[in-house]
Amino acid sequence: MKKIFFCVPLLCLVLHVAHAQEYRNHAQLSQKLKNLEASSAGLAKLQSISKTAGGKDIWLMEIGTGDRASRPAIAVVGGVEGSLLFSQELAVGFIEKLLAASKTDSIKNLLATTTFYVYPSMSPDASEQYFASLKYERSGNTSATDDDRDGRINEDPFEDLNGDGIITMIRVEDVTGKWKTHPADARVMVLADAAKGERGNYSLYTEGIDNDKDKLFNEDGEGGIHFNKNLTFDPPYFTPGAGEHPVSELENRALLNLLHEQANVFAVVTFGPTNNLAEPWKFDRSKTTARVITGILDGDSKLNKLVSDLYKKSVATKDAPAAAPAKGDFVQWAYFHYARLSFSTPGWWAPKFEVPKDSAAAKKYKTNEDKNTDVDFLRWAEKEGLDVFVPWKKINHPDFSGKVVEVGGFKPFVKNNPPAKSIDKAAADHTNFLVALANIKPELELLNQKTESLGNDVSRITVTVHNKGLLPAVADIGVRNYWVKLINVSLTLAKDQSLVSGNRVVVLNNLQPGESQEISWLVKGKGSATLEAGAPQTGFKKINITL
Amino acid sequence: MITKNILFCFLLIGGLAAHAQDANGVFRAAGSPENPKVAISWNRYYNYDGITDICKKIAAAHPQLAKLSSIGKSSQGRDMWLLTITDFNKGKADSKPAFYLDGNIHSNEIQGTEMALYTAWYLTETFKDITYIKEMLADRVFYIVPTINPDARDNYMKAPNTPHSPRSGMVPVDNDRDGKLNEDGFDDLDNDGHITQMIRKSPTGRFIKDPNNPGRLMQAKNDELGEYEILGSEGIDNDGDGRVNEDGEGFYDPNRDWGWKWQPNPIQGGAYKYPFSIIENRNVRDFVMAHPNIAGAQSFHNNGGMILRGPGAEEDASTYNAEDSRIYDAIGKKGELLIPGYKYMIVYRDLYSVFGGELDWFYGGRGIYTFTNELFTSYMYFNRASSRGDGGSQDEPYEFNQSLLFGDALVSWKEFNHPQYGKIEVGGFKKNFTRADPGFLLESDAHRNMSFCLYHAYHMPKLSVEEISEKNLGNGLTEVTAVIKNERLMPTHASQDLKYKIERPDYISLEGATVLAGMVVENRDLNLTSEQKVNPAVLEVANIPGLGSVTVRWIIKSAKGYSVKVDSRKGGMVSKQK
Repeated sequence: MKKIFFCVPLLCLVLHVAHAQEYRNHAQLSQKLKNLEASSAGLAKLQSISKTAGGKDIWLMEIGTGDRASRPAIAVVGGVEGSLLFSQELAVGFIEKLLAASKTDSIKNLLATTTFYVYPSMSPDASEQYFASLKYERSGNTSATDDDRDGRINEDPFEDLNGDGIITMIRVEDVTGKWKTHPADARVMVLADAAKGERGNYSLYTEGIDNDKDKLFNEDGEGGIHFNKNLTFDPPYFTPGAGEHPVSELENRALLNLLHEQANVFAVVTFGPTNNLAEPWKFDRSKTTARVITGILDGDSKLNKLVSDLYKKSVATKDAPAAAPAKGDFVQWAYFHYARLSFSTPGWWAPKFEVPKDSAAAKKYKTNEDKNTDVDFLRWAEKEGLDVFVPWKKINHPDFSGKVVEVGGFKPFVKNNPPAKSIDKAAADHTNFLVALANIKPELELLNQKTESLGNDVSRITVTVHNKGLLPAVADIGVRNYWVKLINVSLTLAKDQSLVSGNRVVVLNNLQPGESQEISWLVKGKGSATLEAGAPQTGFKKINITL
Repeated sequence: MITKNILFCFLLIGGLAAHAQDANGVFRAAGSPENPKVAISWNRYYNYDGITDICKKIAAAHPQLAKLSSIGKSSQGRDMWLLTITDFNKGKADSKPAFYLDGNIHSNEIQGTEMALYTAWYLTETFKDITYIKEMLADRVFYIVPTINPDARDNYMKAPNTPHSPRSGMVPVDNDRDGKLNEDGFDDLDNDGHITQMIRKSPTGRFIKDPNNPGRLMQAKNDELGEYEILGSEGIDNDGDGRVNEDGEGFYDPNRDWGWKWQPNPIQGGAYKYPFSIIENRNVRDFVMAHPNIAGAQSFHNNGGMILRGPGAEEDASTYNAEDSRIYDAIGKKGELLIPGYKYMIVYRDLYSVFGGELDWFYGGRGIYTFTNELFTSYMYFNRASSRGDGGSQDEPYEFNQSLLFGDALVSWKEFNHPQYGKIEVGGFKKNFTRADPGFLLESDAHRNMSFCLYHAYHMPKLSVEEISEKNLGNGLTEVTAVIKNERLMPTHASQDLKYKIERPDYISLEGATVLAGMVVENRDLNLTSEQKVNPAVLEVANIPGLGSVTVRWIIKSAKGYSVKVDSRKGGMVSKQK
């Protein structure tokens, strides 16, 4: 037993180093994006939409041919949560794979009718902590914040007590403590449940010192504002990381400003903590009847199901944990306030550990009665040969003189960022999904156009506007939101022509998938006229008419 | 450029030279400066250039009392002027408890600007001979931003508008969602700068011209045919979509843009992209964030004679608790006395339930006691309440226009040939009537509303070190007990502030002696204390209540030449030497 414990960390240290090299820091990610743009033959356009408080670029890669703004578009957003480096690699991997396939007929055609706006990394200040000399999971940018709101800034940060360059936890033997070890794996700490007759015998804190002696550990370190807590849907006012008010940060403002200009976006796909692709949001009437809507609308929930089914054709969603949205986050903003279809997936989650069927092999595992996910994760990681845990080790701690204090616990980032070798397959799967989603976009066509002469220079023009896509021109949530455009049908007449009946502009409020509407005009005069119909999110169609 | 500069200099010199009347030729009216350094007519309105000129003159004439700066540029590049008014010879301006005052967030609601300017003018011109004002400026500071929507204010005055437009700022929005911006706004058919009504003779119309006031269209009796139909505000269907005036200047509502309980446009009509997505509001936000000494605030709107406080939205009702309501009630009720015809009201309960208002952010987001006054009320037509929503006569404004304004506020019906409607008539009240104060009432309304602001500002915290007493503990140790008094209504932290720890605690420190221990005294008689173990020389107190006090205690070595110092963000800085 002892021997195994000794060897595994060593082996994994090597693996860990290799894995760290493959996630890209901001400079490497920026360079990669520049290279992708340069080799895209004009298909991709890269721009920095803002600098963060930490001076890092927020990138937008536009992909598509021709007039991208007039084509239906999908916005793909990564790095909404700074500690999910995997999510930004997924976004970059998507750009790379889409561009690589752009010479095939199917993708070439797709990019002639669809635009992708990819914002791969929305929390670059936070993500960079992965590469810092002191590693910890960080969500906040470099805006100075007084997290505990006591008038002092960053007065109680983490300290690396065991000098290993990463922040884990400290546990203190303490009969007044609320924590105990898990019966299946003593490395894992769980809250004692008095209702089950359990007593706590440990206190648990993050790794550090109580610098300001307020009995709270590391409650106000360098942390800044979280992109994914700083938006307008149900914001967590005045909690650490939320900001002084929603959308206070440069990166949040820049993204929202641009998305409001990108009226052609019909869906937003977020790579982030929430998952409504493995498990679509369900309609709950009680959340949709008050003035402030807090649940997905009926029609949109059906579209979420449709798109979730599409996702499952490309991505294996077995074992995907339930991942609900959080206060002030981006995925809910995109749906409830931006009023577009909004989908989100973390892109990766640890598979559930299966105790081997073989009874000899099963023997080394104590029963994990309450199906503790940390116990499970450790077993899975061990099987995969991953070093994800710093063994508890005694230290002297100035705040607990005379007490037994140990440093240890899960390494930062490991639970949500798999070894980088997983990126390629995940990027390929998610590219397939995004292409499939683009292929069901709302798309208009003009059918059955005819011109009938009524005599004496008067003609009747008739046309049917049809949505041949599998998504509506306007989602239910967008019906009343003025940032979502309606379908504009315009008849442009020549100088010597005039309208006898009908308006030269007809606005259609919506076209559901497969729905069509016939429109007719009476026009006096001869020659040619033009008929154009569309909205940015459906694309535009134009025909010439001869009278 | 040269001519412009010359013209400007001329105006400046001319303006300054003209300021004072011969001192021998005037006699003081009670409560007003009889010979002000800056002479301003308070019976007319000022566009952006006029405001700029007045601000510069006030700052130039009273350098020790007024400083002019800009809090930022509007979307069209105009400076948003800020007058900082205080006695600059007494204390540090930005450390004094501050009162923030702005006007004109809704661009058509113009008189808030003149009332804000009047306040700046009055404070500076009466400082020398009204003690109350002198004392007020000694220990508080006023941040006055006369207009926070300068672009659209000028549009209101210079372009054709109704009394209700533009309301918005000038950033275009595609209101009818057809992909085009502002393509179908008003059309000033009679070219008089006022957008009035279009009416048309109709065999089935339900309206007639009032025989007593032909300018007024009135409903025909229930059992009688009328003569006219109402077509709406002056305009044509510019874009050929079968609708008239459906996408004009703006439109968003700058007062639905603030960062407390903001909601998007389908839920809250008029909301723009996100909180502070409107640059003028963002400038105010940046200024307020940089001035945590702001304890009280006022925004001026029009109209209806209301003294409004939050919550704006019914869903936010729980944000205001009894303790703060008590303070709001005290100030609001006083306002009803000071401004006859105005009623103290709660936005969501008595007006409408709206999200994202300025007063909501000031209080909910910053813990600042804030009112919005809806300036001018029909009460002021004849100083009686008959038209205040109690079925009063609708012809009062016509009677007022005829008998007191001699018809100046009305455009008489005139025939016009409309491309879509054919033969119509155009007429009605001008844009400067029904919402804006008529000239002769403006100064009086301004003075009363200013007096309300001054009452509010007076009741911002006023701290003093009331008592320092010592007790010899032997061994060279002394127990020092200090009482910090707040002699006004407002606490240093509103209950909303305490709930979310919006502003840091007040610091009460003992300087000049070695401090061994420090504690807040909860009950002096029974010796109940709570010790602050870390950094006892600087005691952190969550709040200093209004009309109340906080008692603190230190154990110090040697008791000579120390001082007790209070440093409160909203309560200012005071100290006492022992």
